[in-house]
Amino acid sequence: MNRRAFLRTTGVALGALALSGVPALAQGLEGEDLANLEKALKEVLGKSFKDLTPSNLIKLTMPAIAESGANVPAEVEVNLPPGQVKAIHLFADKNPTPYLVGFMPMKALPYYATRVRLAETSAIRAVVETADGKLLLASASTRVTVGGCG
Amino acid sequence: MAIRTIVRLTPAKPKAGETFKLQVVAQHPNEPGTRKDAEGKTIPANYINLVEIYFEGEKVAEARPGPSTSANPLYGFMFKAEKAGTFTVKLKDLSGDTGEGTTKLELA
Repeated sequence: MNRRAFLRTTGVALGALALSGVPALAQGLEGEDLANLEKALKEVLGKSFKDLTPSNLIKLTMPAIAESGANVPAEVEVNLPPGQVKAIHLFADKNPTPYLVGFMPMKALPYYATRVRLAETSAIRAVVETADGKLLLASASTRVTVGGCG
Repeated sequence: MAIRTIVRLTPAKPKAGETFKLQVVAQHPNEPGTRKDAEGKTIPANYINLVEIYFEGEKVAEARPGPSTSANPLYGFMFKAEKAGTFTVKLKDLSGDTGEGTTKLELA
């Protein structure tokens, strides 16, 4: 391999690395509160935040800015075969009760849509329990102008 | 008091093998237990904490919403159309009230 070909292939590999995965990592998200989230994770799943694997198989759709925190649409879609997904959980870091919902798709496709209350600007987590016991994570952040929990 | 429940399919008549959404809207204040009334007293929590979907009498999906669900909530599910039948949605809240809604799945 000559120098030019080497540079080209490594360049492509680095570019692919930068595109995949890295934005899914929970870094610099607005409204993060890991201490509050950790408590809820322990209660619901018995796991801590470190046990979750960020995954780009989960598509979590949240608005960037919500006018009213009392009614925020949330949508989760998992790109896995139906039998693979055991449960989908949603958490909001900054809510007094971070656990939003648990969904068990038995015969349904791994998709869930709902409307939730957000107390303030918060990071939203979608945690997916797969049939082989893995926990996948997707995060999003919603800025709230009027809170909806008080 | 029964909870008013509306169930709707989108598209209304899916083709066999096609995916469709089942949307449920309930008329319920969904008090989270953190809100206060005009005198500063906390309004007790009363929210829907169990949503079950039955297809022809068989349970096909279950959701357990927490207190942070909005008033008059929407629940959306997705299924694959295989055969015609009836969907029944059952809701339950903290005070023991139940709601029930049905819709027929017809294949185009």
